[in-house]
Amino acid sequence: MIASLKLRRTVLSLLTIAASAALAVYYPRLEAALPSLVYLTGWLLLLLCLFLTAYNVRKKLPFLPLFSSRLWLQFHAYAGLFAGLVFFFHLRFAFPVGLFNLALAALFLAVTFSGIFGWWLSRVIPRRLTTAGGEVPFERIPAIRRDLRLRAEAGALAAIPEAKATTLADFYVKTLAPVFAAGPAFLPHIMGSRAALNDRLAALAEVSRYLSPPEQARADSLAELVRARHVLDFHYANQLLLKTWLFSHVPLTYGLLLLTALHVVLVHAFSGGAG
Amino acid sequence: MSVTSPSLDRPRRWDAPFAADFPPGAIESLLAIAPFNAMNPDSFPRSSSLSDILRNDTALRTFKANELIVREGDYGTSAFIIIQGRARVVLSPGLPPSAVGRKERSKKGLFRSLAQLWSSPREDEVITRRRHRDQASRSVFLQDVPRLLGEHKTAAMQAGDFFGEIAALSRMPRTATIFAEEDNTQLLEIRWQGLRDLLKYDPALRAHVDKIYRQRALASYLREIPFLRHLAPEIRAIVEAATQFETYGDYDWSGEYKKLVQAGAAAVAKETTIAAEGDYPNGIIMVRSGFARLTQRHGAGHRTLNYLGAGRVYGFDEIAHNWKNPDAPVSLQHSLRVIGHTHVLTIPAAILEQHVLPTLPASQLPPPIKLSETPGSTAPLALQQDTLSRSADRPAKVAPADSALMEFLTQNRLFNGTESMVIDLDRCTRCDDCVRACASTHDGNPRFLRHGPIHDNLMVAQACMHCADPICMIGCPTGAIHRDAFGGEVIINSDTCIGCTVCANNCPYGSIRMVETRDSDGQPLVAKDQKPLLKATKCDLCIDQLGGPACVRACPHDALDRIDLNTLDPLTAWLNRR
Repeated sequence: MIASLKLRRTVLSLLTIAASAALAVYYPRLEAALPSLVYLTGWLLLLLCLFLTAYNVRKKLPFLPLFSSRLWLQFHAYAGLFAGLVFFFHLRFAFPVGLFNLALAALFLAVTFSGIFGWWLSRVIPRRLTTAGGEVPFERIPAIRRDLRLRAEAGALAAIPEAKATTLADFYVKTLAPVFAAGPAFLPHIMGSRAALNDRLAALAEVSRYLSPPEQARADSLAELVRARHVLDFHYANQLLLKTWLFSHVPLTYGLLLLTALHVVLVHAFSGGAG
Repeated sequence: MSVTSPSLDRPRRWDAPFAADFPPGAIESLLAIAPFNAMNPDSFPRSSSLSDILRNDTALRTFKANELIVREGDYGTSAFIIIQGRARVVLSPGLPPSAVGRKERSKKGLFRSLAQLWSSPREDEVITRRRHRDQASRSVFLQDVPRLLGEHKTAAMQAGDFFGEIAALSRMPRTATIFAEEDNTQLLEIRWQGLRDLLKYDPALRAHVDKIYRQRALASYLREIPFLRHLAPEIRAIVEAATQFETYGDYDWSGEYKKLVQAGAAAVAKETTIAAEGDYPNGIIMVRSGFARLTQRHGAGHRTLNYLGAGRVYGFDEIAHNWKNPDAPVSLQHSLRVIGHTHVLTIPAAILEQHVLPTLPASQLPPPIKLSETPGSTAPLALQQDTLSRSADRPAKVAPADSALMEFLTQNRLFNGTESMVIDLDRCTRCDDCVRACASTHDGNPRFLRHGPIHDNLMVAQACMHCADPICMIGCPTGAIHRDAFGGEVIINSDTCIGCTVCANNCPYGSIRMVETRDSDGQPLVAKDQKPLLKATKCDLCIDQLGGPACVRACPHDALDRIDLNTLDPLTAWLNRR
């Protein structure tokens, strides 16, 4: 099998382009000769959908020599794009008629676009996570979040006897404790916003004017913990997005297969009358 | 309701003796012959007496005429003493794989692979006590021995001769094929744990084994050095006689490594220097086993330029330069520092200048070293990669890599891995398909953590790297952790693992994890002291699975691979694959 990613990408791109070109060139000619061409494109589309779904089965059988997952994913992506083209030929570039057909088409497009969205996410988010640093397994994030909160609380409390003042502790209780206690914000981190982090660091800088040297050292540690918490939340939000997009793509796919099966039955049941 | 199984005896070192059926009176017979009759039983501790070692760590093997005893290239963890009969070692050229019955390792068939769907236990880490299949134990007989004796250089071995100690002690493949010459050739096989104890408590055996180990290692090793291949036998004998052996660092360097990690950037300064930059080159240094760090002064510190593993040569360019340009001699251009347990050979410059360089073809001589323009200076020009590749390692090519990556690999001693799990974090979607695939193929528990040291977008995950120098094997009391005889992968035989945690503590990379075991009903197994019975688990590279490592095959994004980090070429090629 082709080992090089670059070569595989090139070969599969060329194959997809060739198949698409062949479809575009021959479809009009065949349409005139074959009145039942829509059945052929329908069955082709069903076969493609089954092949695309088979990737999920492959993932469940890692101990069988069913080719590598990376090869499957590449075939999955290019076959998915080709299926999108076949879909429009199957519709004969017309708007679907009837509620059922409309739902089926909408589901197909939802599956296709969720797939494209997922592919885009899988190319963009890993780089963002790497750039952010602080790599952490998703399952360990809650434990680390708790640890950060405990360390922040301990630091703020330790400043009281050291400085014989409660300035930093009061600030912590009022401003930072809710931050460390709260769950992670999702959307700002997906958008890459640093506004909340900057606000917290600015507040810490503001209160630093009134801190004694021992408190100042504790405040610096708190600032580090605030930054660490920001990176942790960033990882949580982005890793969550990477993990959850499949929860839309896969159920939509099974929904599509169900409606497609119904579509096949209905088409063959009523094709005589329609003819 | 009870939540645990009935308490069991905690497994101990000699629960599974090396020989299942030692004949009665055999121990007494062994104690009466050399070298055991010369040993002082009182020098052995009561917990591992000489007779206990012989009873539990040795096995009497009887071979028929022409039957293979050890095979060149196989990994073995035992040494042999000929008790009676004769054996013959094939020196050169080595026998072809077909002649020694070398076959592909058997893997699960398609049906057995598919059967994992329903046959795997529902609970994690269920102890099933599968019997370990030792493929090396199948008998193989050499065919057409008279022709073989005519075509290959061989040497006879007789009662009292010792062999197999190189592979057993250095965790390296067997260096020669040895077969029995007559029927009823009887040998005593000593697994390396027993050999280690015998060497530890008997200085005479230690001196004897050390002597033959060095002699045999030298003869076979020097034949592999490109610029020594052309030498006539009498010249090679002179070179062999002048070669010096040196060993640096601890045999078990795990503890030392952990201290160095704590030292951080100061670690380089704490490492022992084998040869220092700026010194006069007195000889070439060849790395026999282990690794050495090649550094160059940079500002107030030392910059790591490369790491040299087995087969790499240091100082050859400088000596060749000085021989060709006696009026403009140069000093050593880099320092060579010990990392881990490093065994080196040194050939004095005078021997090279007198016997080797004059007979070396001009094409094998390195080009002269360019110096800076400072009068009288012996310092090198600015660092150039091609210069490095010449001076540091004739046999293997150095691939370009950035200095920080080199520092990362060296500081973390990741170069030790032959099958390191590398992850491209720019492509990894953290989907954990690799982890799930590993768990599916290994009793429900993954054998690695998708976590580990990171440099830039490269993560070296905490998966067994199947090290060139697997120090995890050093302390194992039963030999449960061993190299696979065929491919050399470091694997654990769960039937003989007693859960002592020595290997897990020894592994410098945290790649071995102790897990709690269960019976077939899913109940945790506990010892009589009410502590859980553990077993060591680690990546086995899916050696019995079709298609190779499941983690690599399961990665959808081309983000994960298993790479040999002993040299930089594979890693560089992988990083530049897009």
